[in-house]
Amino acid sequence: MSPIIAGVVGTGVVFLLLFLGMPIACALLLVGFLGLSYLASMGAALPVAASTLYHVAAHYPYTVIPLFIVMGGFATSAGLTKELYQTFDKWFRKLPGGLGAATIGACAGFAAVSGSSVATAAAMGTIALPEMKRFKYSPRLATGSIAAGGTLGFLIPPSIGFVVYGMLTEQSIGKLLIAGMFPGITLAAAYIAIVIFQVKLNPSLAPTSPEAVSWKERLLALRGIWETLVVFILVMGGIYLGWFTPTEAGAIGATTLFLVALVKRKLTLHNLFASLQEAIRVSVMVLFLVAGATVFSYFLALSTIPTQVATWVAGLEVSRYVILILILAIYIFLGCFIDAISMMVLTLPVIYPVILSLGFDPIWFGVIAVLMMEAGLITPPMGLNVYTIAGVAKDTPVEEIFRGALPFLISIVVIVAIITALPQIALFLPGRMLGG
Amino acid sequence: MGYLSKIKKGIQRVTFYVCVVGMLLLVPMMLLTTGDAIVRATLARTIAGAVEISEYMLAVFILLGLAYTQQVKGHVRVSFLISRLPPRVQPVVEIITILLSLFIIFIVVWQGWVVGIHETTVSDMLRIPQSPFKLLVAVGGFLLCLELLIDLAASTGKLVRR
Repeated sequence: MSPIIAGVVGTGVVFLLLFLGMPIACALLLVGFLGLSYLASMGAALPVAASTLYHVAAHYPYTVIPLFIVMGGFATSAGLTKELYQTFDKWFRKLPGGLGAATIGACAGFAAVSGSSVATAAAMGTIALPEMKRFKYSPRLATGSIAAGGTLGFLIPPSIGFVVYGMLTEQSIGKLLIAGMFPGITLAAAYIAIVIFQVKLNPSLAPTSPEAVSWKERLLALRGIWETLVVFILVMGGIYLGWFTPTEAGAIGATTLFLVALVKRKLTLHNLFASLQEAIRVSVMVLFLVAGATVFSYFLALSTIPTQVATWVAGLEVSRYVILILILAIYIFLGCFIDAISMMVLTLPVIYPVILSLGFDPIWFGVIAVLMMEAGLITPPMGLNVYTIAGVAKDTPVEEIFRGALPFLISIVVIVAIITALPQIALFLPGRMLGG
Repeated sequence: MGYLSKIKKGIQRVTFYVCVVGMLLLVPMMLLTTGDAIVRATLARTIAGAVEISEYMLAVFILLGLAYTQQVKGHVRVSFLISRLPPRVQPVVEIITILLSLFIIFIVVWQGWVVGIHETTVSDMLRIPQSPFKLLVAVGGFLLCLELLIDLAASTGKLVRR
């Protein structure tokens, strides 16, 4: 068997094991080990898995992952979720579908202090759903807007999606995080526009709205977001100005939120434990996957598939945008079955060299990739956010939530098209960063 | 069946407490990194060895969390297809994938031990030996094996009952 054939067979086996329900990290480790044994030697392959696992687990830049996740946990403990929702509610409630718009706004706000997306959806679901129910919003609009709003956590920094992309492609994580800012705000605005537009078209989706509030009340409500704003400016401003690395920024953000929760006397032992537990569970999941993917990519590199594919694609006589559309279609398809981080880990070893050989900007593609991962969170049949919301909104069938999320899914595709036409939306800020 | 479920509970308890040890390290890691950043910004100095201590803490955090994450089914897997298989086939497929996982994790444990025991490197600043931390690969992997054995027993049980 030539190395290329071995690589193709290995990739096939990984996908087979994955669809048979084997933990993805184990499947990657196993096939990586077998492939290395075949292409190099058993003796060379044996220690690779164990030492890769150690090196991934003890790699300083990866400390940013638990720190970004624990930020979200502390922010929830400090009650920021509720305060954000209340503030946005006061400002947006007079818009058509105002509570839906407020939900999106609050999700965006929460995403600005939290690294994980599913946590955003769950936290917001328990607060916004009862409100929307009280004002007789259609369950489809209500659940759809929370599921979609939750995806913002993946794009708006701090974001685990960018960290993993940066780790796998050796791009600056700081630049990637900063690059996500404008696209994140644009997407949040597009989501809000979609809520308003739907209700304008069909007012029965949101028949009643809460009574108006005075400007004084609105201004007073701004108190509810100052902590979020301060933490976001501290973390992202610090990265942008080159004052500290993303890891340090994550630590400072987490410490600040920890203190906020402590001062507000809201950090119970139970909250602290739950936040740490979520942080370890998600970090272990991500880094075990990364370790598996690293071993597997050693094997792929030996098989020469990534370079061969990249050379072949670069030699094709078609527009590079045709290939990009093809890649995006693959992501949409995979996103229907595989979770966001696994999808990145599985595809980037081959897709990333292709993107580079086509002359696309790696930071720009990071934003596009993360947007596609977001889409995967709300596509049937396996959209993770939809199932999270289904866990909170027990009386709404899953199909109904998927239907509610569909308009938002379309807006993700539109935003991808816009950022492809105008890459500056993503690249403007990182190009002006001090430090890197 | 009684003693089997006792063993299972025992393993799960050990895994959980081991994970708690790792988990609690996140707080000092956070404070240390914050402190290091502040000291550098204000006094233009760094805390000696802050980075290497963080690295070791991250290693403990991750490796000791491996097994517990399996216990709460936190390692991602695609259940889309397997949940649609006929109930008689399902446990068979589960048993096969668990055995394959056990095989590769066993290699990780064995090699983790071999690599760890022969490691003589010490950290740059504080001269902390790397060996005990590397051995945690074997410890974390071993506990992960135990959790996988629990899953194996559960799937076998499903098969036998049918």
